[in-house]
Amino acid sequence: MNTRPFLGWFVSPAGLVAVGLIAAMLAVFQYSVRAYIPGSLEVGGFTLQNFAAMLRPLYALAFWNTVLLCFETAVFTLILAYPLAYALVRTNSSALRSFILVVSVTPLFLGEVVRTYSWMIVLGNKGFLNTLLLQLGLLDRPMQMMFTAGGVVAALVHVTMPIMVIMLAAALSHIDRNYEKAAESLGAGPVRVFLTITLPLSMPGIVAGFSTAFAWTFSAFATPQLIGGGRVSTVSTLIYQLGFSSFNFPFAASLSIIGLALSLAVIALLKKAASPLERMAGTT
Amino acid sequence: MLMRTNQMAANTSVAGNDKIRPAVQLDGVTKRFGDSIALHEAWLKIGSSEFMTLLGPSGCGKTTLLNLVAGFLEADSGEIFIEDALVTETPAHMREIGIVFQNYALFPHMSVAMNVAYGLKTRGVDKKEMARRVDEALALVKLSGFSDRKPRQLSGGQQQRVALARALVIRPKVLLLDEPFSALDKNLRGSMQVELKQIQRELGVTTIFVTHDQGEALSMSDRIAVMSAGRIRQIAAPDDIYRRPADRFVASFVGDANVLNGRLVERNGDAAVVSIGDVRASVPAASLAEVSIGGSVDVFVRPEHLSVTSRGASGSLPGTVTTQVFQGGHVDLYIDAPGSARDHILLRSPGIAALSSCPVGAEIGLSIGSDDIVAFPPGEAP
Repeated sequence: MNTRPFLGWFVSPAGLVAVGLIAAMLAVFQYSVRAYIPGSLEVGGFTLQNFAAMLRPLYALAFWNTVLLCFETAVFTLILAYPLAYALVRTNSSALRSFILVVSVTPLFLGEVVRTYSWMIVLGNKGFLNTLLLQLGLLDRPMQMMFTAGGVVAALVHVTMPIMVIMLAAALSHIDRNYEKAAESLGAGPVRVFLTITLPLSMPGIVAGFSTAFAWTFSAFATPQLIGGGRVSTVSTLIYQLGFSSFNFPFAASLSIIGLALSLAVIALLKKAASPLERMAGTT
Repeated sequence: MLMRTNQMAANTSVAGNDKIRPAVQLDGVTKRFGDSIALHEAWLKIGSSEFMTLLGPSGCGKTTLLNLVAGFLEADSGEIFIEDALVTETPAHMREIGIVFQNYALFPHMSVAMNVAYGLKTRGVDKKEMARRVDEALALVKLSGFSDRKPRQLSGGQQQRVALARALVIRPKVLLLDEPFSALDKNLRGSMQVELKQIQRELGVTTIFVTHDQGEALSMSDRIAVMSAGRIRQIAAPDDIYRRPADRFVASFVGDANVLNGRLVERNGDAAVVSIGDVRASVPAASLAEVSIGGSVDVFVRPEHLSVTSRGASGSLPGTVTTQVFQGGHVDLYIDAPGSARDHILLRSPGIAALSSCPVGAEIGLSIGSDDIVAFPPGEAP
């Protein structure tokens, strides 16, 4: 007898979505091995030329830039999110807890374009930040922040912050406070307790948050497109340009495939590098 | 009444321990959480090498007291001394205490040896000395050869030994034990208790042990502080606590007790005579100061201090056996004795003779065969 009679019904929506997704992926893959016919939306016969073209410095650089951008974003997000998550989990003040939750989670509810435009207002040459710094006399002339990798990273950190805070908070809340008390009683001051107990035990959250931030950033499009303004080229902006300016669908498709493979590879690598740390932290 | 008990408890501790220099001393320590008082003016002196148990139901303030001594909580008023040094405001990591938690709290990301070495590392002990002391501590708890294991590869009893080694290796001024046996199964608990007591005596480490299990408290302690509702009710040696409980709460919380309806007959200095039906018994007079002669009192009698006689024998109470419970080494008889007690009376008869001599329904006489009887003014709540 079937012990879960509704299982089939319940998984069918997910199944439909999965079928659609797989079909789309196959289509992309199919495009990636076809020849480009300039001036036409039709594609030619089988070729591996698209993949070979990616070795050209322009495209290799875009890949490298993207990985670097993702890495920087994940690192800065981690550094900013950790204290927030720590305070969120450890504070006794419910007001502070709500404040941190609101501040760290609201970016999730803003549309990507709205959020990006607000960053343009902040980062522009006549934007909030430059005006403030000029008024304070800290700068003589506006600092270029728009259309730079730094500006893109700042905006992307904002995007990845909520998920990082949530993942770190989950990990931190699972740490038994008695570990820290035991360490304290054994003579460890606050800094030592943090470095030898809290930080290693939160490693699973750090790895999960870091990989997620990395993957999100890799696929980000609107933020690098608008804030980078074409001067910061990432895999996703490149795909957009090739697909929708040059209508070179085959090349855009092959970039997508390699981009996907690359981001999976980097995440797998991260996991592998972090696994001794995670094993050290033990499963809570 | 409560205030008086508290004062009395404080006096007992001071008087009982004047000759020994206290290793831990609490002077009127109070701790509030919001509006509720978790610990109300605790006065306590614990002698060097003494095994002091804080006994009470959950929420009685025993864990709060432990956390105050450990430095995990800050007292709202009062002072705490450890070996003559005022530590009321000293942070936990500078108090040099060892603590074993209920869940052991072994660092899961460190091996057994690293766990034990942790407190030595924070003290900057050099490598050779550290290795020697870790080995020594593991040998003490009979876990030599387990150095490289991870905590999750150990059984509950082994984890507890590691926790004990980790706490003892730093040669703490005080060892704090927070219900360390409650996660162990019954057989293991017994053997760990014996072992812990041996180690404690061998090392002569001053120990504060928190538990809600009165059996544990009676069997392990040099002295027991019975606590309830944030107050210390009585501080005394285990046999004193059992034989001469200071108030209703202590009498009913520690050991089993039957509450019999009695009357105060007369007072002779420190002793008083109470009557239960035709039976007369001598009790301490101190707890009956507020009762007038002829007034009703509640007489507390332990189940093993009652014995069965024939119905109508002089100096006995009439009763009817309602239930027999065979316990192996003894037989518990539940006896209905209307007039003498509100509830059933529990009688503990050694051996197995009572199984045949006192069948259910038997009409028997009850006699009280001990001087260790106490009486308190009547009341419902302890």
